[in-house]
Amino acid sequence: MSFSSHYSILLVAVPLAFAALCPIVGMWKRELCFPFSVAGAAAACFFIFSLWGKVISKGVVSYTPGGWKPPLGIQIRIDYVGLFMASIIGAVGLAVLVYSWRYVSRELDAEKIPYYYTLYMLLFASMLGFVVTGDIFNMFVFMEIFSISSYALVAITGQRRAVRAAFKYLLMGATSSVMVLLGIAFLYSTVGSLNMEDIAGRLAMGGYTSVASIALVLFLIGFAVKAALFPVHIWLPDAHSIAPSPISAVLSALVIKMGVLGILRIFFTVYTPGFAGIEGTWTALLQAIAWCAAISIVLASIMAIIQRDFKVMIAYSSIAHIGYILLGICMLTDKGLTGGLYNILAHALGKGCFFLVAGIIIYKHDLRRITSLRGLGRSMPVTAGAFAVASLSIVGLPPSAGFIAKWYILWGCLQKQHYVFMVMVLLGSLLSAIYCFRVVYYMFFVGSHSAEIDEGPATMIVPAASFAAATLFFGIFATLVLPSLSSAAQALLAG
Amino acid sequence: MNFSRIAHNLNYVFSVVLFLLGLYTIAVKPNLVKKIMGLNIMETSVFLFMVSIGMVGSGNAPVVTEGVKPATMVNPIPQALILTGIVVAVSTTAVALSLCIRIHEHYDSLNAFEILGRDELF
Amino acid sequence: MLWNRRRPGLAKVVYIGSTVATILAILPLYPRALDGAITTQRLVSIAPRISLAFRVDTVGFYFALLLGVLWLLCSIYSLGYIQKNETRYYCFLSLNLSFCLGVALSANMFTLFIFYELMTLFTYPLIIHEETEQARKAGLKYLVYSVSAGAVIMLGLILQYYYGGTLSFLGHGTLKLSQVGKPILLTIFSIYMLGFGVKACIMPLHGWVPDAHPAAPAPASALLSGVILKVGIFGIIRVMFDVFGIELLKTLGVALPMLIVASFSIIVGSLFALTQDELKRRLAYSSVAQVAYIVLGLFLLAPDGAIGGLLHIAHHAFMKGCLFLAAGVIIHETGKKKVSEMSGIGSRIPLTMAAFAVGALGMMGIPLTCGFITKWFLGLGTIQAHHPCFIAVLLISSLLNAVYFLPIVYVAFFKGESPEGESRLLRRETKRSMLVPVMICAGMIIILGVFVTVKGFPYSLVEVVVKAVF
Repeated sequence: MSFSSHYSILLVAVPLAFAALCPIVGMWKRELCFPFSVAGAAAACFFIFSLWGKVISKGVVSYTPGGWKPPLGIQIRIDYVGLFMASIIGAVGLAVLVYSWRYVSRELDAEKIPYYYTLYMLLFASMLGFVVTGDIFNMFVFMEIFSISSYALVAITGQRRAVRAAFKYLLMGATSSVMVLLGIAFLYSTVGSLNMEDIAGRLAMGGYTSVASIALVLFLIGFAVKAALFPVHIWLPDAHSIAPSPISAVLSALVIKMGVLGILRIFFTVYTPGFAGIEGTWTALLQAIAWCAAISIVLASIMAIIQRDFKVMIAYSSIAHIGYILLGICMLTDKGLTGGLYNILAHALGKGCFFLVAGIIIYKHDLRRITSLRGLGRSMPVTAGAFAVASLSIVGLPPSAGFIAKWYILWGCLQKQHYVFMVMVLLGSLLSAIYCFRVVYYMFFVGSHSAEIDEGPATMIVPAASFAAATLFFGIFATLVLPSLSSAAQALLAG
Repeated sequence: MNFSRIAHNLNYVFSVVLFLLGLYTIAVKPNLVKKIMGLNIMETSVFLFMVSIGMVGSGNAPVVTEGVKPATMVNPIPQALILTGIVVAVSTTAVALSLCIRIHEHYDSLNAFEILGRDELF
Repeated sequence: MLWNRRRPGLAKVVYIGSTVATILAILPLYPRALDGAITTQRLVSIAPRISLAFRVDTVGFYFALLLGVLWLLCSIYSLGYIQKNETRYYCFLSLNLSFCLGVALSANMFTLFIFYELMTLFTYPLIIHEETEQARKAGLKYLVYSVSAGAVIMLGLILQYYYGGTLSFLGHGTLKLSQVGKPILLTIFSIYMLGFGVKACIMPLHGWVPDAHPAAPAPASALLSGVILKVGIFGIIRVMFDVFGIELLKTLGVALPMLIVASFSIIVGSLFALTQDELKRRLAYSSVAQVAYIVLGLFLLAPDGAIGGLLHIAHHAFMKGCLFLAAGVIIHETGKKKVSEMSGIGSRIPLTMAAFAVGALGMMGIPLTCGFITKWFLGLGTIQAHHPCFIAVLLISSLLNAVYFLPIVYVAFFKGESPEGESRLLRRETKRSMLVPVMICAGMIIILGVFVTVKGFPYSLVEVVVKAVF
């Protein structure tokens, strides 16, 4: 076996090892933690992106650590969706890591910095593990690792509100994890397997009804909390707005998407769409998610409009976008799924950029109120410009990635003749235009005319600006991603 | 209602009771430490449930020996899972308790309502 | 052709240069456009069956040329008029030019929508350029109207794509009655009209116009009224000619309701104009009425009506350009914004007011001005389409135009105190960069009204368009 055949395990193992070593490095020399983590994340990115060729040619890359054959052994199973998510995690995670360097060196106490990088790498590695694993219990373990590290990262500043928000996040998160664990227990008790494909095969043989349905409901509740779907979204605005900005960016861009991926895995890989036994429950639950998602879109957008705090506003907008993603997925058509998945990318870039911009503004001026952002378009043109560009994507205007996503989601709704959802999606766009352009308005069209340019440090500007540029790039060159996504969608629908 | 059936599945019944008890505690009790205890009770109920799945009445240890049929062995996988689950639960509890300590430092209280009253967010 | 340049210091020079360059870049396409030839170029494919593509056809060329000329005039004018935040102003002006050109030269509905939305957003800084409270309010209103319209258009776009299978312009309708069914076609049509109608300020959707025009600086309002409203019209043209096709529209029976809406716009818009005291507000309402002429002409679904409507795009652009720019001179030189204050200004700025008078005569449709040509063809169209009752609309509107424009000219020249002779001698009328565009516009009104059939003038192009469609 050549070295490259181990890439699929290395992409998780390497950052995990770096996370473990980080405190030791920190004990020796604190400044080395940052380059050390960057090296780990970059290596993971390398592994992720070199796997694309294999996945495109074969469809699925399977790997069995230690040679234990599935279904008994743990299996790493990288399909289109998994690799797509992994690529987003890799790219966004690396960029935000670079961004955090200057941010944390000022916002955090010096002795906390090694722990910050440790937790960050742990978060990074466990999210990668979550998306590539083919074993349902393994997925739970990775979910716990990233949840716990994000609780800790939200609270890392130790300020009173941060601690409080983290505790709220922890209570809801841990309860939802228990739900997922119970779901796994139920499923295992009737099916007797933990490998997702294997479970799907056994379920398809039939004979499982009530227990499997209960497990499905438990999974749904558990992952819905992680994804911050209405009405279990209440932890998100606090946690996302109070966390240090790079962490907010990662939480919003990546961590809540793990909940979405969990729902995808459960509803499409484990309980396959064609599965006859509990089809009624399956369809009813997806309908329920679709409605919750649609309500999320409208309600969260309205909540975002009435906020006065910049970061809370961005956090509410994340809830709305989770709504878009899930709505697209719940349409159960290839276009809708493609749209949902594309919005994962579009939102990761757009929202990542938003939080990074918020971070730069906090770093330079310690401003959080929207009305206090006046005139920043002149003093910080790149930062404010990045925000303006990213807001195109968040609103879903062409030519940005958000537009492509919304286009496909609408197309999916149309395929199923769900006109009400179409109207709600468009209404959501209008509402998001209000809250995004309000900020753009304060940045560019109100305030002083002094043209003294006072930008943030380059390591913070570059990630934010490149996210903004990437939203445009993926809005114009969408064909780079769309074929893989529609294969992903078709693979998911086929089960 | 067949009582002997309930008696045979007493551990499942207990696990359901414990789960609901834990959920109730988390949702209703204002004290943060009690909430964490509720969380632990809930987790324990799931562990109990999982062990019960794998249990075989008067079964053998899952070690391959002469004359022991696999059907009479206790299923080892749920036990392994629970071990992992316990580790996860412990670390969650640890983080939760350390957050509690910080909250107490900041607010001089562990009562959720008092804390909410101390500072309105924004 | 779609370059936009931003240079802080050299903004003006670069900007004017690039505008001229744009016109020069458009001109070589003329012979091909006159032949009705179509050049298509696909830039990048965004998604399967959706691409960013450009195409030069006659109607696009006609529109692009008009854009270039009017933009040049307005930007020369801006050199004298705009005094603060120049870099931002010119930057957005040039960006808008390229987006408008993008709309004109797009090869499918998707490209058109992209540039349409971009133009919508980037017009905002021009409207609020003065940064007064009034401008901000107007800008907000503008954004609310247009972003909602954008969402509506997007709905139409996805419906068209789903039911019609393509978004490309192929020179004939791509939606087929047999495949799609009447109710859905009617839905798509009304959604598009609702969406583009906001920018084209068809009457119930015109709310942003009377606020935005007075708030924007004069050259920007001239562009708004002269061109940017027309971009909405251009969208409607594309929907009519390339999405539905004339035959389908005839079968759908949407023409009569649209004609009624347009007539309503014309008459009520004029009546509103009559009641306004603020000059630019009056002009804005007049735009509402005038743009409805174009809609009226198009929806007669008769060749002559369409010629009249399409011609009016250019004619109205010059007439309203002339009037708004003249209004800008009045504000700039005398500081008077209200009609009631304008007595006697004719002697202070005689040339400008003369140009204003020419514009006003054009609006009324007096022979030898281009307004007459429009009305002539529209009149012919109403007869051709067997809707002669709409001639009455044209006549009433001419009358109303006379009622609200002539008093301005009258009070400016023949009323009020005699001017102080010395100031007239000491000061020239206004900056040359402002006067020249006004005079050119006024000249164009006459020239277009007299030499209608000269090659290269709107008529020759419009004829090709209409021949191809009908």
